[in-house]
Amino acid sequence: MNNRELIEGIRDSFPVVLGYMPLGFAFGVLANEVGLTVFQATLMSILCFTGAGQYIAIGLLSAGGAIITIIAANFLVNLRYLLFATSLVPFIKNIPTTKASLLTYGLTDETYAVAINRYQEKEATASYMAGLNITSHISWISSTFFGAMLGTLITNTDKIGLNFALPAMYICLLVLLIKRRSDVYVALFTAGLCLVIAYFIPGTMTNLSNIIVATLVGATLGMLIRERD
Amino acid sequence: MNEINIFLMIIGVAIVSMLPRILPVALLSRFEFPPILKEWLSYIAPAVLGALTAISILAPHGSIDISVSNIYIWAFIPTFIVAVKTKSLFYTLLVGIIVMAIIYNLTIT
Repeated sequence: MNNRELIEGIRDSFPVVLGYMPLGFAFGVLANEVGLTVFQATLMSILCFTGAGQYIAIGLLSAGGAIITIIAANFLVNLRYLLFATSLVPFIKNIPTTKASLLTYGLTDETYAVAINRYQEKEATASYMAGLNITSHISWISSTFFGAMLGTLITNTDKIGLNFALPAMYICLLVLLIKRRSDVYVALFTAGLCLVIAYFIPGTMTNLSNIIVATLVGATLGMLIRERD
Repeated sequence: MNEINIFLMIIGVAIVSMLPRILPVALLSRFEFPPILKEWLSYIAPAVLGALTAISILAPHGSIDISVSNIYIWAFIPTFIVAVKTKSLFYTLLVGIIVMAIIYNLTIT
């Protein structure tokens, strides 16, 4: 373990943690409401670590959905990670495969956004990944635990603006990530396409398949318009 | 749903959320990607972040809401300006959260 890399990973997880706290807390509260025990809710956040997927599971549970429906919905929601993980592969080649695979368990929309920004400038290390992913995961687990425990005492975190922590993080990471002119076009095009798909097929917002389709098309557009040197 | 079913659900969800993250890294790390694939993959990040940003601002509660009453759009403007000017995650987050808190408390009464 490289301590400095570890600490930088923990430091960079700060905005993610800030965003996860209210989301994890709310998940704990909702899970408790649909009948999960504190232990089950917390276990789910330990083993699954999929915000969108866990909310969907709770929604389907309260609607009386079958286990297989919940798992199938989660399969679709998590397919986007195939893309995220594949795009990380060229950056994390130096990390032993077993270590890298285990650490990729902590890959989420948010940790991906932070990590891919970092790897544009600095080499990926297992210590950095551990600091970023594990700290984020711990914040998700502990906020779920507190939400499930203190469900009735829920306070409105929207009042203190925490509902904007993750959007603000996305905005900044997107700005930081833009290096080429073609990146701007790709980001704008994908954003638009993603919304157009959601507009015409609202169901895609539930399983986030609009993100996958828009990303595949957007990245391909990038290839077509890339600057030639 | 009984206790066993809850645990089966949790394990099932864990497997389908784990595999898409781990498999590409576990299986593909040995291969050197051709340059054209690498370049295509380099556009995944801006594409994904563009999509996530758009959804988090324009569909904050799961369905598209492009109207003046969507406070996320109002909070987006100063936050975006700070992000471009400072290129600092800290200041962007700080301004975003404070602006959102102010707008939220002014509009929801």
